[in-house]
Amino acid sequence: MRILIVEDDLEAAGVMDRGLTEAGHECVRAADGEEGLSAAHAGDFDVMIVDRMMPRMDGVSMVQTLRREGDGTPVLFLSALGEINDRVEGLKAGGDDYLVKPYAFAELIARVEALSRRRETGSVQTLLRVGELEMDLIGRTVHRQGKEIDLQPREFQLLEFMMRHAGQSVTRTMLLEKVWEYHFDPQTNVIDVHVSRLRSKIDKGFDRPMLQTVRGAGYRLDP
Amino acid sequence: MRLPRLFRTTPFRLTLLFLALFAAAASAFLAYIYLATAGEATRRTDRNITREMRSLVAAYDRAGIDAVNQSLIERASSERPFLYLLMKPDGTRISGSIAETPIEGGASAAPARASFSVTDYDAQGRMVKHPARGFQERLSGGEVLFVGADISEDQAYVVKIVRALWGAGALVILLGLAGGLLVSRNVSRSMGALNDVVTAVRNGEFGARAAVRGARDEFDELSEGINEMLDRLERSMAGHRHAGDAIAHDLRSPLTRLRARLETAYLDVEAGKGDAKEALGQALEDTDGVLKTFSAVLAIARLQAAGRAPDQTVFDPAELAGDLAELYEPTCEDKGLEFGSELTRDLQVRGNREFLAQALANILDNAVKYTPVGGAIMLRVRRRSSGEIEFSVTDTGPGVPDEDRARVVERFVRLENSRSEPGSGLGLSLVAAVAEAHDGRLELSEGPGKVGDMGPGLRVALILPRA
Repeated sequence: MRILIVEDDLEAAGVMDRGLTEAGHECVRAADGEEGLSAAHAGDFDVMIVDRMMPRMDGVSMVQTLRREGDGTPVLFLSALGEINDRVEGLKAGGDDYLVKPYAFAELIARVEALSRRRETGSVQTLLRVGELEMDLIGRTVHRQGKEIDLQPREFQLLEFMMRHAGQSVTRTMLLEKVWEYHFDPQTNVIDVHVSRLRSKIDKGFDRPMLQTVRGAGYRLDP
Repeated sequence: MRLPRLFRTTPFRLTLLFLALFAAAASAFLAYIYLATAGEATRRTDRNITREMRSLVAAYDRAGIDAVNQSLIERASSERPFLYLLMKPDGTRISGSIAETPIEGGASAAPARASFSVTDYDAQGRMVKHPARGFQERLSGGEVLFVGADISEDQAYVVKIVRALWGAGALVILLGLAGGLLVSRNVSRSMGALNDVVTAVRNGEFGARAAVRGARDEFDELSEGINEMLDRLERSMAGHRHAGDAIAHDLRSPLTRLRARLETAYLDVEAGKGDAKEALGQALEDTDGVLKTFSAVLAIARLQAAGRAPDQTVFDPAELAGDLAELYEPTCEDKGLEFGSELTRDLQVRGNREFLAQALANILDNAVKYTPVGGAIMLRVRRRSSGEIEFSVTDTGPGVPDEDRARVVERFVRLENSRSEPGSGLGLSLVAAVAEAHDGRLELSEGPGKVGDMGPGLRVALILPRA
């Protein structure tokens, strides 16, 4: 995946660059919004990671400009500003996701990979298929190896998100944000319990577990 | 030259402006009165002279020159205010009360009218000149008749009126000026007091407040507004300061621990013994803990500083509580806790959904953490008889002793029996901050009482004003 990192903190950008390159991605760096804009014009990127506050041109203006020009590349905003209003502003400006500094690297990779998938789902899907697992979004049914799995509405949403990001790590925070639409950090293991219930329904009685726990990050649904 | 301070005030300048406008209006008014009274006096004199003239001319036409002559002699010696002169066609005096005509051109100028002055002597024998007016006409027989009148009384009357008007005008201007000065001084004093407060605050005295005199005027309103603003500013600054102190105080120990762990790991690795991986893993966990604490303190401080939760909407509280019940129920079941909810539907609450969800989640987190296996948690939403909306969570945990209930809401306060549980001691502080930012409150009371070997439990209620 080609990733554009627009970040004025060179050390932070370096760490990000190294981590993402180690994870198998190709990174290009820009030190401010103006540089980021020319880099975005010059190269075709799968995802952009954009810091919000930068000298010369801030991240929000840069993304607004790109969106006006018709550039639809998924953007992950990075920011030290984490209030709801800040998120809303970032998302309204054309960001697709928002990560508050300081962040865990696992969270960054999970979000970047989740964003890259968005591009491929341009057409309306009514059927999701991941390995043996099949989800009918209209009939609201789930089958594994042809056997129907009975899910509660929230479990269905949870599995849908996991299936849309099959093969990628998704973090607890991402699940809370995308499935429950909450932006806080519960002190108890509420998300883990929901995932483990889902796991017992889709993996129990089958020879191979599909829902994996990724240590230090979250979960991954393998085909 | 610099004017004294009082003369530079806006109210004084306004007073001057109004006085100038008033003086202009008064001048126009005086001019009108003068013209009206003085003109009227002249016209009245002219009418009287004309009437006298008509009567004499009529007598002449009826009975000839002798009759007029006779009448003139009689009239001149009477109390009538007129001056008479009857002249032959060549201007020679026949009879009358004056020696010669004051009309320029003499008898040949008839008919004519003129203003002139007559010389008279006052009681002390001094010579005085009186203003007068007179007409002159040629009679049908060629004689010339002059009739005049002393208008000094009329003029004196006009002068009196004008003087009175000028006096009144001057008095009004003086009073206006004095009133303006008085008002300016009062306004300046009030503004000065407000300015003093602003200066004091600018110099760092955040406790300075404007005096409210109880007059319920706009100055009192302004003072109250400024005071409220300063109260909020002071609270917000105290909040920030407290947050800074709290962060410095409470993050010091975990940061020291983190540093020690990293240092030990570093030394171990350098000495070629031990595995750095475990130490690093632990250090990462410690860092996460520190960051969580930091975020929570910041969230509380920002909420308190803002004074009011942003983006408030009206929504059904049962829906919000239902979502959270759905989120927490599996965790409760997993831990062996009974979870129940009683949610009154179709109520309305105004607030920031996200903050309220976080507050409820914090309360539920606490309940799950502190309720032992076999216990029960109940989430309720109801409307109080006062109309307020109450979210409450009741548990069968150890509860919080009465004397500690106010304290646990403060930042970083963790009771002895909770030290073994993970947490920053900020959960309830954030709930209290959210409540306050919604003009609501947080109430802690005893739970359902002893249940088996558990209890007495805790009831945490988040109460919001009616929507």
